[in-house]
Amino acid sequence: MEDTESETTINVGDFLVVQRQGYTKLHKLRKHGNMVLGSFTVEMDNIVGERYSDTFQMKNMPGSKRFYILEKVDEVNSAAGCVSIEKSGADNRHIPNNADSQGLTKEDIDKLKGEELSSNNIVEQLINNSKTFNMKTEYSQEKYIKKKEKKYFEYIQIRKPSIRLLSQMFYRQDPTKTLGIRTDDLSQILSYANIHSEGNHLLYDSGTSGLMTAAITNAVGPRTTGSLIHMHPGNECQKNGFVAMQFPQEQADRCINVNLYSVLRCFYQNKGDYSGKSETVSESDANVDADNGEPSAKRTKVEGGASQKKQWQLDNERACKLLEGKVDSLVVVSKEHPVSIVKELMQFLRGGRGFVVFNSLKEPLQDLYVYLKGRVDIVSIRLSSNFMRAYQVLPDRTHPEVNMNAGVTF
Amino acid sequence: MSFDGYKDKIEEGDTVILYLTITQVYCIKAEPKTLNKKGNLIENVFQTPYGALKCAELIGKYYGSKISLSKGWGYVLQPTPELWTITLPHRTQIIYTPDMSMIILQLELCPGSIVVESGTGSGSLSHGLIRAIKPHGHLYTFDFHKTRAETAQEEFKDHGLANYVTVTHRDVCENGFGDDLDNKANAVFLDLPHPWLAIPHSLKSLKQTGGRLCSFSPCIEQVQKSCLMLLKLGFQEIQTMEVLQTQYAVQQRSLPVVNLDFLKSEKDGTETEKKDREMIKTITAIPPPTQPGHTGYLTFATLPPIWARNLQISLNQDDINDAD
Ligand SMILES: C[S@@+](CC[C@H](N)C(=O)[O-])C[C@H]1O[C@@H](n2cnc3c(N)ncnc32)[C@H](O)[C@@H]1O
Repeated sequence: MEDTESETTINVGDFLVVQRQGYTKLHKLRKHGNMVLGSFTVEMDNIVGERYSDTFQMKNMPGSKRFYILEKVDEVNSAAGCVSIEKSGADNRHIPNNADSQGLTKEDIDKLKGEELSSNNIVEQLINNSKTFNMKTEYSQEKYIKKKEKKYFEYIQIRKPSIRLLSQMFYRQDPTKTLGIRTDDLSQILSYANIHSEGNHLLYDSGTSGLMTAAITNAVGPRTTGSLIHMHPGNECQKNGFVAMQFPQEQADRCINVNLYSVLRCFYQNKGDYSGKSETVSESDANVDADNGEPSAKRTKVEGGASQKKQWQLDNERACKLLEGKVDSLVVVSKEHPVSIVKELMQFLRGGRGFVVFNSLKEPLQDLYVYLKGRVDIVSIRLSSNFMRAYQVLPDRTHPEVNMNAGVTF
Repeated sequence: MSFDGYKDKIEEGDTVILYLTITQVYCIKAEPKTLNKKGNLIENVFQTPYGALKCAELIGKYYGSKISLSKGWGYVLQPTPELWTITLPHRTQIIYTPDMSMIILQLELCPGSIVVESGTGSGSLSHGLIRAIKPHGHLYTFDFHKTRAETAQEEFKDHGLANYVTVTHRDVCENGFGDDLDNKANAVFLDLPHPWLAIPHSLKSLKQTGGRLCSFSPCIEQVQKSCLMLLKLGFQEIQTMEVLQTQYAVQQRSLPVVNLDFLKSEKDGTETEKKDREMIKTITAIPPPTQPGHTGYLTFATLPPIWARNLQISLNQDDINDAD
């Protein structure tokens, strides 16, 4: 976990979280690339070679009105602290109810933006030209400044992506991006499923922008024995969040992405012999188990040969071998009704292990609850653990309906 | 020894979770003998509402299996931090799973992280932290209550977690976390009555490349003082939140159907016949009539890396006292 130079330096090819006040955006840094941020188009070259958590000021590019370049700064001047307020009203009784209280036109403001982007400057101009500002109460003056500052704020901070930042960003951009999983939901899914550095974990995910795979792979960690089988319903799985984390190769390789149908077909139809029927399989390939590192794909590639298998076939085989040995946790995060999926995937779960099913709707989970409860009636030791699992299902769908943010005022 | 790694069978000395119903979950030790109050070695028998359980009989059983009791049955499970949290012996107030989960995610922990915690208390959170950072991470936990620190140390050893954690008996507000931890930690967690006094010390322990801090406080006044201190010391992204969880009871209800159709036609004598009343089945999830509405406020903050700290940071004692 030593933070090496290369980890703290911003390099071309990195994924960054760009933070501008409350707003965050994921960006892949390309050579001579631009990034669109609100009404600004920003050239990103100047941040290459700088370090994460550095702050940059957006400055007008000489000779161009629309483009901005970034300049590293050591201090941020916040308008709230700098703009001097001359007069405040006691209440808002004198404030006329029309929009015309601002003397500056849109063109004036654009011109200001074009000259030099400085939220302080613009906010000050806006205040000077506002007919009502001095009539406002101190409280609403502050609010006004904050609001305007946000719009013209010229500083951005470059952050290294983390599960926390990604999960907050996706949810804020659009909750459906993560099937409605909020940060608190995510944190509890990981806990109740007992996801950690050991064991084989199984995930069914019908589309959380790669957040679930990223979060589980992160919790499994670098240089550990754990692995993740990720089943998804499509041809390609969603990967945004996963690639943004830029896991080391050995860690990323322990997340095996397979199509739900194709891996189960492989499991049922090639039972016990996942290396394929006709192809000759090299010794090493047959012996690989996901726990000890190098994935089979790489080895076969080195050996070459005409009977080269497709990557997805190799992934299916790796996944099936793990499934045969059973998994230690199961997480189902689905758009689909969960009962049939859980029914099918449950067989791969070892006795006494927990599992978590998330759905943004309560009703499908009620059905699941009844189904799981029903399984107890078939009294046998193997099924008995389902009872306990059912109970572990319980806390997961009882995620907080409201996540309050208690504001702190001074 | 049953907290480190997945196990299939119960071995002697394991801490085992005995699950009877959703509200009757206990932790027991799979040991044939135990000490009674007088300090004599006696047979280890656990009394459950469904009959007595001889703990020696658990040894060799599979985790997840069903065991018979004289008046019912139960299941034996391998402990997880979640199960431990609901069964552990309380020595203090503890942190429960919803808060614990949020803390782990927000502190951005992963295997390999170095974490500083105070106070250790009953070790509820510590178990969750250790799971998140093992095998190559480490937890340094501090409590100024001597017996609590010692008991926690014993417990970690007993649970097979001793390699991942160091327990120190110390007043962290007075004496900090020690020079050994300077610039070592990825994250600091505080659950103390006066967290703001420990924040300057936390800053010293966090890595030069920055890190995360969390403080858990039941009262908003504590939160205010902590936030002030954080702000003053140049922490960023200061956020306070509450996490609440509701547990529903899923029930299948049958509701009778009132048939009114027969009123439309004239009486023909059949309506007095006793008919089976039609019922409709429905599944519903009922929230509890009352539930804990507040555990504590979680305040999170980021310490930026050394090159991005723009405030002069003073560890001057006078400064610190200013805040309270
Ligand atoms: C509420 S408990 C912590 C519970 C713990 N988080 C858990 O989940 O089990 C608070 C602990 O902090 C300890 N404590 C209070 N002030 C302290 C100080 N200045 N230095 C070290 N420990 C302190 C107390 O002895 C107590 O055990």
